[in-house]
Amino acid sequence: MTRVAELLDQGVRAYTRGDATEAERLWCRALEIEPDNERVRAYLRQVRSDQAAPPATTVPPPGPFVRSPWDAGPATSPVVIVDEGSGLDLGAVDEKSDIHDLVPEQRRQEPEPAPGYVAAWMEEARELFALGDFSGSLGLIERILRIDSGHAEARAYLRQNEATLVAMYESKMGSLSIRPRLAIHPEEILWLNLDHRAGFLLAQIDGTVSYEDLFALSGLPRLDTARILASLVSEGVIR
Amino acid sequence: MSQDQPFIGIDLGTTNSAVATLVDGVPRLIPSRSGQSLTPSMVAVARNGKRLVGQMAKRQAITNAENTAYGAKRLIGRRWGSLEVEDARKVLPFELVPGPEGSDIRVVLGGRAFAIPELSALVLAELKADAEAFFGRRVTKAVITVPAYFNDGQRHATKDAGRIAGLEVVRIINEPTSAALAYGFGKQMEKRVVVFDLGGGTFDVSILDVGRSVYDVIAVGGDTYLGGEDFDRRIIDWLVQSFAEEHQGIDLREDKMALQRLRDAAERAKVELSEIEQAAILLPFLAGGGDGRAALHFDRQLTRSKLEELTLDLVQRAIAVTDRTLRDAGVRPGDVDEVLLVGGMTRMPGVQQAVRAFFGREPSRGVHPEEVVALGAAIQAQALLHPRGDKDILLLDVTPQNLGIMLVGGYFATIIPRNTTVPTSQAHLFTTVQDNQSSVRIAVLQGASEKAVENELLGEFVLDGIRPGQRGEVDIEVTFEISAEGIVGVSARDSGTGTRQSISVTATSGLSEPEMRRIMDENLDDLLARRQVGDFEKLRERTHAILSELESLAPAVKATLSRSRFGKDAVQRAEDVVARARGALADQDLQKLSAVEESLDRALQLFRGLATGAGPAPKEQA
Repeated sequence: MTRVAELLDQGVRAYTRGDATEAERLWCRALEIEPDNERVRAYLRQVRSDQAAPPATTVPPPGPFVRSPWDAGPATSPVVIVDEGSGLDLGAVDEKSDIHDLVPEQRRQEPEPAPGYVAAWMEEARELFALGDFSGSLGLIERILRIDSGHAEARAYLRQNEATLVAMYESKMGSLSIRPRLAIHPEEILWLNLDHRAGFLLAQIDGTVSYEDLFALSGLPRLDTARILASLVSEGVIR
Repeated sequence: MSQDQPFIGIDLGTTNSAVATLVDGVPRLIPSRSGQSLTPSMVAVARNGKRLVGQMAKRQAITNAENTAYGAKRLIGRRWGSLEVEDARKVLPFELVPGPEGSDIRVVLGGRAFAIPELSALVLAELKADAEAFFGRRVTKAVITVPAYFNDGQRHATKDAGRIAGLEVVRIINEPTSAALAYGFGKQMEKRVVVFDLGGGTFDVSILDVGRSVYDVIAVGGDTYLGGEDFDRRIIDWLVQSFAEEHQGIDLREDKMALQRLRDAAERAKVELSEIEQAAILLPFLAGGGDGRAALHFDRQLTRSKLEELTLDLVQRAIAVTDRTLRDAGVRPGDVDEVLLVGGMTRMPGVQQAVRAFFGREPSRGVHPEEVVALGAAIQAQALLHPRGDKDILLLDVTPQNLGIMLVGGYFATIIPRNTTVPTSQAHLFTTVQDNQSSVRIAVLQGASEKAVENELLGEFVLDGIRPGQRGEVDIEVTFEISAEGIVGVSARDSGTGTRQSISVTATSGLSEPEMRRIMDENLDDLLARRQVGDFEKLRERTHAILSELESLAPAVKATLSRSRFGKDAVQRAEDVVARARGALADQDLQKLSAVEESLDRALQLFRGLATGAGPAPKEQA
C-alpha cells in the first residue's frame, strides 16, 4: 500500500470511529504528499462540511426540573347523569366525559379515506402504469390494498407492476448467473449512502455467489432484492 | 491423475464436511466448486423455495433459521423419543417430527419433511458434484467416516445417505482411525495414540492402539455440544455487547440480518487469530439507525488474548472431558505416544497450549486438522479399490460395538466384543435360573454398558420347549453369527433336546426400501427441475436481449409508420407478442416463454426491417 493510500485508509477508520479531527489531520498529510489527489480533496470537503454543520447528536443540557402534569394528581372527571330508565348510552357518556377508545397508532396516522379515493387512486395507478411509471403505480396500488386487500383490479396491477419492475431491475444486472464483485475499494463502502438491508446484500457479494443465489440468500421479497442490486449496479458499486 | 475409476474419501462432519482423493499417490483435498476447502453440513429451503446446500445454506442460516437444518449427524440413525432427540429438540430452531412409522425422525424445511439420511445425502451429493467437477467425470465410489461411537443403525443410515446421493459406500471407517491413517501411523511400530478432535459442533477424544492393519479404538469420550460454534457465540456476544454500549442499547440479536453478518465476521476473526495477534471486524451499514437516520457502522479490533479470555472455560471443558476419558480407560497422559490434533478449532493457539500442558508433550503436526479425516478416508478408499501391495494399509471390517444378550438381573453379557473382525461366529453356554423352566427370552443387544437397559435392543425371541430339569443343569447354547454384509444371526439351542430358535437382525436407518426409492426418484425430479431452471434462465436472457433491441428500435419504427399507411396492425400484433413475452417472464413459465419465442423472433425481424426501411412486407410478419 502506498503512503497516501495508507493515510487515506487510516483517515477513513478514524472518521468511522467518530474522530473527525484525526481523519482531517491524516487526509491533510495525504494531500501534502499528493496535492492533486481528487479523492483526498473530496474526503476533506466532506469532513469539513460535517464539522461546520451542528452535530446531529447534540442534546441540550437538562434544565431544572419543571412541574409535571402528574404532580397534580388525577384530574376530576365531569359528572355524567344518565336518565333513569333510558339505559346506559355509552356514546353519550363518551361525548360528555371526553373518553374515547384508543386506536392503533398506524390507523391514526393514516385516516380511513373516503371511498372515492380508492377509485381515484386506481385511475391514477392505471395512468401511471400506461405511462411506464411502474414504481409510482405500485405505490398507489399498495395504498389501495392497505384499505381493501381484496381489490381484484389492484391485485392484478400489483402483480403486473411488480413483475415489470423486477424484470426492469433484473435487466440492469444482465444474466442472473453472473457472480458480481465489488467495483470499488472496500474502504470506499463507508462513503456510500446505503441502508442496512443494502449493507447486508453488499456483504454477501464476494465473487462466489450469483445474482440468483443472492435472491435466495437475502430473505427479502424479490422486488426489494432486485431494486437494491440494480441500484448497486447502476451506482457502480458492484459489477 | 490416475485413469482408474475415481474414488473419494468423505469426512461427513456435524458442522463441516470435506472430500479428498489421491493424486499420483498423494492424498489431496478436493476444493468445492466455489474454491472452499470445507462444505458446511447444512441444508436449507430458502424463502423463494430454492434448495440450498453447504456454503449457500450457511450464509442465510440465521436470517432463515427455521428452514435451515444443521447437525443432522447428531440425529442420524436415532429413534424418535430417544434422549438425544429430545435434547436436540430443545435447542434446534427447525422443527422435528416423527416419521410415518413413528420411530425415525423427520426435519420440516419449507413445509416438506426430510428424512435425516436424506439431508445428509444432499450434503454428500454436493461433495460428489465437487469431486466430479475436479475429475471431470462421474464418481460413484466412496469411503465415508463416522464417529467411533456410532452404532450399527447410525452406520447403516450413513450408508443409506450415500446411496441416496448416488454413491456406492465401499466402507464406513471410524474418524479417529482415519486421522491416524492420514498421519501415517500403522506403518511404524505399535503406538498408543490419542486423537483430540475439536470440530465445529462436537468434541471427540479417542484413544487408539495402533498396529499394522489394526486400529483398535480402546476408548472414546466427548461432548456432542462443544465446538467451534460455541467459540463463535462468545465472540458474537462480546460484539453485540460492544455495539449496545456504543449505540444506546441497540440489541443486534433482534436484527437477523445484522446477526448473520456478525456470525460470519466472528468466525472469520477467530480463524485469523490463529495466525495473527489482532483481527479487524469492520461491518459497514450493519444496522438501521432508526427514525430515518443513517445506517450504523461497526468497527472493532479483537485480539488473540481477548479471544482466549472469552473462551477459556470452553477449552477447559475439552481438557476435563479428555482427562475423564483417559481416567476411565486407565490410561495416564504420560502413557500416550502421540497426540493428534483434528478439527478446525485445534488451530487455535490457546487450544494447542492446553493440550500441550495436559499431555506434557508436543502434539503431532504436519497434516491440516480440518482435512486429516477426509485424507485418511481417501487413503483407505485407494487401498480398497486400487491396492498397491505392501504400500497400503487395508483396515479390516470390524464390529463397532459389543454384541450380546441380556442376563437375569438386567445385566449385559458380551458374546462378540467390539473390533472383532467380520465375518465371525461365537457361541456361549448359558443355563436356566429356575427349576423346570420351560422357556427362555433371548434379548439381543448392542452397546458398551454392563446394564442391558443402557444398550440398544436389536431384537428378541423366545426359546420354548426346554427339557424339564433343576436350575443350572439345563444348557442353552447361544450362537451369534455376523455375515460379511453385517447381518447378525442369533440362535439359541437346548443342548439336551436340540430344540432351536433363531432371529436375523439387520441394521436399519429407519427408512424402508420403498421410501428410499421414492426419495431417490424425488432427487431425480429435483435435478430435472434444476435443469429446467437452467433452460429458463438461458431463454430469459435471450428474451431480454430481444426486448431491449425492440425497445431501442421502437422510435425508428414509429417514424417509419408515421410516413406510411401500412404496417400498423402488424406492429400492434408485435406489441401483443411483447406483452405475452413479458407475462411469461413475470410468471417464470418456461412453456409460455418457449411458445412465444418464435413470434418474438419474427417481431424483431419486422422491427429491424421497418427501422432500416428494408424489411419484409409487414403483413407477413408477427
